[in-house]
Amino acid sequence: MLIQENLSTEEKLKILTGAARYDVACTSSGVGRSGKEGSLGNSRPDGICHSFAADGRCISLLKILFTNQCIYDCRYCINRRSNDTVRTAFTPDEICRLTIEFYRRNYIEGLFLSSGVLDTPDYTMEQLYRTLYLLRNKYCFNGYIHVKAIPGADPALIEMTGFLADRMSVNLELPTADGLKRLAPGKTREKILTPMRQIQLGIVRQMEKEGRQLPPGASSVLKEGIPFFSQEKEGRASLPGVRGNTRKNFPERAVSRQGVIPGKSVYGGFGMGRISNRRSYFVPAGQSTQLIVGATSESDYHMMRVAEALYQNFGLKRVFYSAFIRVNDDSLLPELPGGPPLLREHRLYQADWLMRYYGFQAGELLDERRPNFNIYLDPKCDWALRNLALFPVEINRAPYEVLLRVPGIGVKSAMRIVSARRQTALRFEDLKKIGVVLKRAVYFIMCSGRMMESVPIDEDAIADRLIGAERKKNLELGGSGLYRQLSLFDDFHLEAVKK
Amino acid sequence: MMVFLCENSPEGIFSGVYDAWMSRLGHKNVSLAVQGEYNYTLFSQCREVEACSWKAEKVVKAVREKISELAYSWIYRCALSPEPGRADVIYRFLIYGFHIGSGVTGYLQIPEVHGAFAMNRAVADEAHLLMEFVRFEELAGGILFAPINPKNDVTALLMPHFCDRMPEERFIIYDEKRKRAGVHTGGREWYFVSGEETRPLSELAGKTDRGEYAVLWRAFFSSIAVPERKNPVCQRSHLPLHFRSRMTEFQQQADGKSGK
Ligand code: SF4
Repeated sequence: MLIQENLSTEEKLKILTGAARYDVACTSSGVGRSGKEGSLGNSRPDGICHSFAADGRCISLLKILFTNQCIYDCRYCINRRSNDTVRTAFTPDEICRLTIEFYRRNYIEGLFLSSGVLDTPDYTMEQLYRTLYLLRNKYCFNGYIHVKAIPGADPALIEMTGFLADRMSVNLELPTADGLKRLAPGKTREKILTPMRQIQLGIVRQMEKEGRQLPPGASSVLKEGIPFFSQEKEGRASLPGVRGNTRKNFPERAVSRQGVIPGKSVYGGFGMGRISNRRSYFVPAGQSTQLIVGATSESDYHMMRVAEALYQNFGLKRVFYSAFIRVNDDSLLPELPGGPPLLREHRLYQADWLMRYYGFQAGELLDERRPNFNIYLDPKCDWALRNLALFPVEINRAPYEVLLRVPGIGVKSAMRIVSARRQTALRFEDLKKIGVVLKRAVYFIMCSGRMMESVPIDEDAIADRLIGAERKKNLELGGSGLYRQLSLFDDFHLEAVKK
Repeated sequence: MMVFLCENSPEGIFSGVYDAWMSRLGHKNVSLAVQGEYNYTLFSQCREVEACSWKAEKVVKAVREKISELAYSWIYRCALSPEPGRADVIYRFLIYGFHIGSGVTGYLQIPEVHGAFAMNRAVADEAHLLMEFVRFEELAGGILFAPINPKNDVTALLMPHFCDRMPEERFIIYDEKRKRAGVHTGGREWYFVSGEETRPLSELAGKTDRGEYAVLWRAFFSSIAVPERKNPVCQRSHLPLHFRSRMTEFQQQADGKSGK
């Protein structure tokens, strides 16, 4: 390993940014905190993007590694031990100065600090802790901080770090224990899930202490009633507590289902949202993780079941999906002649969104017999086409949860319909003003008992037209949660919702 | 038809709303316009409205109490729009607002409500984008300086955001087109400077930031993109070209001490 001692800050920045860019998370959302005298920074619950890189992705945080030295040899990772690259490390003060000076100029919302494993997990975690401690106390930084928890590090260190950070993450990377064993020899699922569970517990305890409403299932977490592992079966999601979903007829179920609260995740908010700027909180913006898409052979269905389990059992705020990029030439890694699976990644984000804000379950979108998403149609259109019998729905009567399931109607437009129809019955021409994408919605809706004239009602004809509209959009792939954190709904942002 | 000609500011327009409303000529017989933007037509008379803080405050108070905070934020933003019809859009919206009450902002099918909504949103969207994309350069003495050139008059929407997050910094946001600057010297307060006083600022605007951290930021910006995912179309859709000339990361390092 070639360790460079006397590089300039600019050279280090180039290396340690290039080494961090494959981690996709760059959001600064989940916590609202005002500025305070004597400090620099505040935080907005919906996050702020500051730029867009040449790959089209949002830049919100100074995303860097503390060091790209690593004792492990994960096959897919550019920083793996066996790669012959230049290694370097920042000093904590260098990181603090960059963060502060970038922030003052409005380049960033804060810091996303990750690291290769230097010597031991404990030593690495200690370095991250020291950096955050300096940044918060000596440099008086009150903006957003996202930090990695290093698997295998002493829980006490993780706990202390969590009180300085806004968000923490531990990347699961590969959805199965088997995949991990093959591609990340230094890691085990247990090693990754242990800090994840610790962080979840810390968040729940704090929410309880602060008198916040606990998300569904959180009290059982407190009693540590959920085991880490369930029996791993061939081809199934192997995280615990994933319930199969067999019920089919949605109207009753959607109506009776609790939890589809406009603008809020159905899994509940594991995190604090708005907080005081006078005290410190434990990971107030919640935790996230990342799954690599396409490095191993899991189906989309399998990925979604794992994500669902992570949301339900580990209280994650976000699961990020990262199309696999073959940065190392390694016989255990798949060849990707068509480039990284970006469309697949995009579909997973769409489906993830549907699960969190629309009340869909993984089992409704896909199943064992149809384990992968349609390339031509987004998951919601695809679902609606397979369930044509449930349509058309009446715009002027259908409950919020049912409106949400109509293609072309999103969270905002469903909310607007619900409030606008109190005044007068809505007509098709009103829907456009409200933000409904009529081009997609017309096949699935009625206004005052009538469908729009000359709209086809058979599956094939509808599919044809929807696919035509979709094809254009996919050329850009700009709509996924990865690109813009206009995730207005990551937390309830009143202004945005009312608009 | 009586046309009330208002000064071009929220205060001026709200004063116009007050006068038009209190004139008791009937909503059908009045309309509002901004001075200098109105084309005189046959069959209408004009009345100049003097901007007057107590009138404006009365309107604001009534809107907040009888309609809602949200409705107030709509009309305030509309007043910052450059659209010629803005004063009248506000007035027409308020007719429904005072009639319907707090629910009015939900009734987008009403054209007058939708008009105010859409205008307010255009202003809010631009303010939000600038909150993201505005870049400060450090001048001598540690003063931070950001030139902007927005379509809408959004400086007053940007200043509170930066005052909250940077209470200890001295900074200036300078609107090149309107020759007006928001100035913050510490704490939560800020003030406007306009006209001649802003002349030195216009000379500062439009230069490439060559500071140490600007160079580092450009290095970060080019290293963070994943080459295998290059996507200029997507980048452009999120970050329209017209913002870029003022953004540090898109300025050419070129001449002089460029990165080797
Ligand atoms: S632990 Fe694995 S994934 Fe993390 S930096 Fe080291 S080699 Fe890369």
